Amino acid sequence: MNEPVVVRNLRKTFYDEGRGEIKAVDAVNFDCREGEIFGLLGANGAGKTTTLRMLSTILTPTSGTATIMGHDVVSSPQGVRKNLGFYSATTALYPRLTTRETIDFFARINQYPADLVPERVEHLINRFGLTKYADARIEKLSSGMKQKVSIARTIAHNPSILIFDEPTVGLDVLNALDVQESISELRSEGKTIIFSTHIMSEAERLCDRIAIIHAGQILACDTLAGLRQSTQQHYLEDIFVLYVKAGQATI
Amino acid sequence: MNLNAIRILYWREIRSALRDRTIVTNSILLPIFLYPLIIWIAYTGITFVSGQNEGLDSRIMLKDVPPAHEPLKREFESDESVVLVTSADPAAALSNGTLDAIVEFMPANSAPTIPENFATRITYDESRDASNRAKSRAAQKLTRYREKYLEQQATKLGMSRADFQNFWMDERNVSSGRAVGAFMVALPIFFIIMLAVGSMHPAIDSTAGERENSTWETVMTAATSRANILIAKYLYVATMAFVAAFLNLFAMIFSMGTILGPLFGSNLSLRIPIRSAPVVLIGAFLLALFVAAGMMILASFARTYKEGQAMTSPFYIALIIPVMFLQTPGLDFTWRIALIPVANVMMMIREAFQGIYHWRLIAITLVVEAACVILALRIAMLVIQHEDFIMGSYNGSFGKFIKERLFK
Repeated sequence: MNEPVVVRNLRKTFYDEGRGEIKAVDAVNFDCREGEIFGLLGANGAGKTTTLRMLSTILTPTSGTATIMGHDVVSSPQGVRKNLGFYSATTALYPRLTTRETIDFFARINQYPADLVPERVEHLINRFGLTKYADARIEKLSSGMKQKVSIARTIAHNPSILIFDEPTVGLDVLNALDVQESISELRSEGKTIIFSTHIMSEAERLCDRIAIIHAGQILACDTLAGLRQSTQQHYLEDIFVLYVKAGQATI
Repeated sequence: MNLNAIRILYWREIRSALRDRTIVTNSILLPIFLYPLIIWIAYTGITFVSGQNEGLDSRIMLKDVPPAHEPLKREFESDESVVLVTSADPAAALSNGTLDAIVEFMPANSAPTIPENFATRITYDESRDASNRAKSRAAQKLTRYREKYLEQQATKLGMSRADFQNFWMDERNVSSGRAVGAFMVALPIFFIIMLAVGSMHPAIDSTAGERENSTWETVMTAATSRANILIAKYLYVATMAFVAAFLNLFAMIFSMGTILGPLFGSNLSLRIPIRSAPVVLIGAFLLALFVAAGMMILASFARTYKEGQAMTSPFYIALIIPVMFLQTPGLDFTWRIALIPVANVMMMIREAFQGIYHWRLIAITLVVEAACVILALRIAMLVIQHEDFIMGSYNGSFGKFIKERLFK
């Protein structure tokens, strides 16, 4: 059976006037299984965001393939986006729309059946405890509330695959825990989730499998238990450092 | 192209725009109120100054009034705005400002047919407003008195006024009231200015504004093509330009009719012929598409709202300058002007407002504008194929981009 997310030899090269050719993602391979949280763990600039941007069709790969629910990111970008919810620190909300209008807009534009949209909007408003703020403009909401609306808009069209790119960046502990809880709930609903982070505790707590990415390459990919066994280290931080140092030596 | 997706995206843009203070001010309130307000203020100012002037007294000295013309002196005395003064040295009084005008009565130059005929001389200082005003008032009184006096004398001699009237002067204005109105209020230039102003902020908001607010990436992950997203944005900007131009046009016609109409009476018609509507609408439509495309291309290179304003301002000025020159009175709509984008639409609209239709020139204008729209969209298509541009990571202006990417 095909996995919902299949990534093969994915590469992305940028050209910078000062630095020349930059291999942001270099021959990345991984699969995500249905209903799991797949963690992409890496330091800043490791290639996490570029990889996820290619999966969400924002960027076009230089080479390699990636499919989301059988749709190729290059040849069928709309099919990919219909099955995908993408959340990151750079995907903000329209400040002048209300909560209700925001969820409604993203449900409709992402092709959720039009006749079911009002019901879906109400469901999400209730689910995230946004009833009181349903008709308030986004610009008037607190950071925590905005975060909830952001997650609601990500899943407005009920996609099978969700990408969370460093979703807790800039959040306080309580809001970060709220986000983690929401992601956990989404997994229990059967969603396949790709979760990128550089915070070890988040990865340990949430991810079913973890891929350690460094300098655009995946250095290891396994369950936490598997990584512990392979490295004979207990803490994810130690495991991560071990792989990164080994990776640097190889590079 | 998915029309449903474009519709959803378009209404999202419109809804957001109508809640943005800058856009509402520049694309809706400014077109409705700015120029009518300026005209109202100017009119009120002129009326106020003129009222103030009317209330000021003129100090006039009457010198050697013939006894037969005492009624003329009484007319000066009965005028509340005239103060009759005497001076031992009227020339000095006039130059030091204590006197505004001297009216001197002198014997007639030749032997008079009518008894008690006389000549007058008004001495005044043109460099002083008060003196000018006094001269006008005195001249007005003398003219009126002379007319009345001549008529009385003619009657005494058994003649009618027509018998001694050397010639009649009759003025005939061949310009129709509509032409005067359309030209005087310069509606087409305001129309084009407002079209540019109306599109500028929506263009920035929907491109640089989205990047600044980090919503650009959000919408780029929507399950629709980028072409649909850009078409919706483009239609939104063009709509705002079109709406701003027409709101201004209606506001101008309404306010001109209310404020200036009574001043000019039948000489000024501010009604636009219904027949001009198709020409004006299609011209405005093509111009809105062209201006919207230009504004969006330039604004999309910006990463912040401020940068967007800086990048679109030269285009705004480039639109306005030729239009300003074309306001010269007597300038005709020729085929050469019909080849100049924007200016051709302005001339076409100006003529249409006057009920003049040069169909060949209109056809040339529409073809030129349509070509400009196609060219602008072609450039936009070339630009959006570049990923770094779409992602906002390209660091440069439109000019640099064209030089580096399209001509390399």
